[in-house]
Amino acid sequence: MEKIELVSHFDESMFVPALQARTKDGVLEELVNCFASAGIVRNAALVLEMVHRREQLGSTGINHGIAIPHGRTTASAKLKIAFGYSKRGIAWGAMDGKPVHLVFMVLSPPHEQDNRYLPVLGRLVEVLSHPEEREKFSEVMSFAEFTNLLKS
Amino acid sequence: MAEKLSTQIEFLVALQDLDIMQREIEEVKQLGFEVNAEGAATLTRAREELVQKIRQPLLRNYERLRSRYKRAIVPAKEATCLGCFMRVPTSVPTHGRADTEVYTCENCGRILYWLA
Repeated sequence: MEKIELVSHFDESMFVPALQARTKDGVLEELVNCFASAGIVRNAALVLEMVHRREQLGSTGINHGIAIPHGRTTASAKLKIAFGYSKRGIAWGAMDGKPVHLVFMVLSPPHEQDNRYLPVLGRLVEVLSHPEEREKFSEVMSFAEFTNLLKS
Repeated sequence: MAEKLSTQIEFLVALQDLDIMQREIEEVKQLGFEVNAEGAATLTRAREELVQKIRQPLLRNYERLRSRYKRAIVPAKEATCLGCFMRVPTSVPTHGRADTEVYTCENCGRILYWLA
């Protein structure tokens, strides 16, 4: 089976090694604003509405200090992933109740050309299911280190 | 949730995003994400509230288009409808838009949303 490539979906302008926000809502807004600043989404309010609704469906905190807020939105031009790290940890309402340190926000148009949204989401969950990988993501200092880690 | 959306096209996009989310619940669950029954009911209520804000003719058009195509609203890029890939008329403004008016593609009828 083809291994889904992740690196091309990240962008340095959406790499946040030290999140400013200290709450879940604040982090969602901070990362959506990264997408808006990068020109991936035009209307941040619309996208924020969608990610909040997704959180109402069930927490996107997938245990072990990781959250993957995600969704398809008509207001997004491309399938992209923003990364944010919080050393302090964020109360996310995750399944294991632990604070979240690593946040990967995945946004996609309703139908991107290769229909990779669900495969990319699945690959991300798979990569982050390995304890040693999770640990390394907490230690990255630069976007180059981060992408090297994704390639390994 | 604080209401930040105000225009008809914004409500329509939010509605389509919600409909897509509801359609993909099972796939997302299979990936290991938590989806609870209470949350699903919350989305249904959110949809009911959202449709109240959309003018009836527009809503009817959205529902009609949704039953015909997978997406009722599609992006318009470089004056092209990304649903049927036909060019939109030059009379339609394509840049610096404020989402205050709703335009449809003259060819396929889909509602257009400008990403730039």
